[in-house]
Amino acid sequence: MLRLVDISLKLGNFSLRNISFDVKQGEYVVLLGPTGTGKTVLLETIAGLYHPDSGNIYLKDLDVTRFPPETRHLGVVYQDYALFPHLTVYANIAFGLKLMGETDRDVRNAVSKMAHFLDIGHILNRRPRLLSGGERQRVALARALILRPYMLLLDEPLSALDRLTRDRLRRELKRIHGEIGVSILHITHDLSEAFFLADRLIIMKDGAVIQEGNPEDTLRQPGNRFVAELLGIENFIPAKIGPGGQVFLEGLGTSDPPLFSPEPGEKTDSIYLTIPGWAIDLFPDKENGSYLSQVNMRIVGLNRTEAYMEIELEHEHGARLSTTLSWREVTMLPTPIKFGKVIKIGLLKEGTYWVPGD
Amino acid sequence: MISISGKKGFRFAFSFLSILLVILIAVPLLRMILSADPEVMRSTIADREVMASIFLTLRCALWATIACAILGIPLAYLLARWNFPGKSLVQGLVDIPVMIPHTAAGIALLMVYGRNFFLGKTLNEIGLDFVGTETGISLAMAYVSLPFLVNAAKDGFLAVDPKLERVARTLGASPWQAFFRVSIPLAWRSILSGSIMMWARGISEFGAVIILTYHPMTAPILIWERFQAYGLKYAKPVAVLLILLCLLIFALLRWLAEPKKEM
Repeated sequence: MLRLVDISLKLGNFSLRNISFDVKQGEYVVLLGPTGTGKTVLLETIAGLYHPDSGNIYLKDLDVTRFPPETRHLGVVYQDYALFPHLTVYANIAFGLKLMGETDRDVRNAVSKMAHFLDIGHILNRRPRLLSGGERQRVALARALILRPYMLLLDEPLSALDRLTRDRLRRELKRIHGEIGVSILHITHDLSEAFFLADRLIIMKDGAVIQEGNPEDTLRQPGNRFVAELLGIENFIPAKIGPGGQVFLEGLGTSDPPLFSPEPGEKTDSIYLTIPGWAIDLFPDKENGSYLSQVNMRIVGLNRTEAYMEIELEHEHGARLSTTLSWREVTMLPTPIKFGKVIKIGLLKEGTYWVPGD
Repeated sequence: MISISGKKGFRFAFSFLSILLVILIAVPLLRMILSADPEVMRSTIADREVMASIFLTLRCALWATIACAILGIPLAYLLARWNFPGKSLVQGLVDIPVMIPHTAAGIALLMVYGRNFFLGKTLNEIGLDFVGTETGISLAMAYVSLPFLVNAAKDGFLAVDPKLERVARTLGASPWQAFFRVSIPLAWRSILSGSIMMWARGISEFGAVIILTYHPMTAPILIWERFQAYGLKYAKPVAVLLILLCLLIFALLRWLAEPKKEM
């Protein structure tokens, strides 16, 4: 559907560097990256609002790199929705169809169908100024979808909403994608949004794509520390390489037996073991082979939230780890955990990964 | 109401100074209008020369405004949206006419559009004469009052989120369609109020007009001439009539340009 080949663009403070990826027919692709990494510029470049300095953009195998935006058939929804404030909701949705010279009757039918689909039939006569955030988003979606675009480009579409509305609307986005089957490229800095919606994740940093893949694989095997942090992995233990290629974890003492280097020939000057919270077994009860290592650690912090308990652990050599348990898991522990207590924990092989520093 | 300490004094000082200024503006106008003798006013309205000059003034200023809108709106948009080398120079140039003495502006215009310069001569040959004509009046009015329109329109365009134009493009609008369907409707209040300002400024123009065109006589020149030749008593009714007409028209236009209550 959409294919970017080596897109580069310098625009003020932003630059895009050699970006290549594709979005397949009907796919929901989420572009994840921190704020200020050039995601919006990339989206606008795909929409034709900027021309790249080099590289090509293909839509349905047609090179559209130099096409003006009005010929690309792409629907754009901005973070603040950019509804036309001088037009009613109806006229906003009808905007594109009227430009195409559709008859009033066809426009009316199409708008009322779309309004029904997105449940905004009751606000068609209102002005955007008076709508709630959720309503604005639906209107912006309706305005784009009514033209049956090849693709929807969503620029942080949920960031301006309160939490409840956001949770509701991301289910709604999933429904729309499921029912219409339109290809979607959605950019966000929000991890759970990305995991909730993505068929495939593309991770961007400083104007370049640094990793892509399906969410599960990406989470299991982040390409480097930046990606791991972006994916919300809590623990990073720096490691040293021994003379025989063994790896020793800093601050966890000498492991027994020494841990072996994961991949021969990999860059080893700066390497980390990433340990997601769920890969820390507080009372190891599985067979030894399941664990990378088992170590004694002291409980140095117990922090509560409404949904879970965060447990901070410290090794006598200084390494710190943290993990979270749901309240239900806390009640099911074999012995209660107390502040200051030393417990033996196991680091599950499954879930722990070596990543290069950057 | 909770009173913050010092708030009363602050409000009092500001109200006092504001009222003072409002009085300064209003008293001369009121004094002139209230002292008008209805009998004299009636005969002034019946005075063909007076009415002709007032309508001439309104008409010429209107033409000037329309011409400047056609040329000035694109310039305003350009200044609001694009960066180009020499942009601040262009912006400065646009502001110059309000800053220089208008008689000087009139002389500068005469030197270019008069018959002693090739441009004036050429235009004269194709039938556009700027000295002693309505065209000349309009030109002088346009030159000195165009900054009002251009700057107001520019501010209007600056207030339109460029994202709205971009979205319009992705919805199938050409740059022209995006401009006419999104930018203009959203900036039109500013453009209209700038146009009203420009028109008003054109109507009141004296210095530049008198240099280019003494006859036919615009209302400000007529007032001046009657004052010179016959004195205050004869100049006043014309001035009152002009002021009343202008107030009426601008009140009406302001009302039209006001944001109406929306649903």
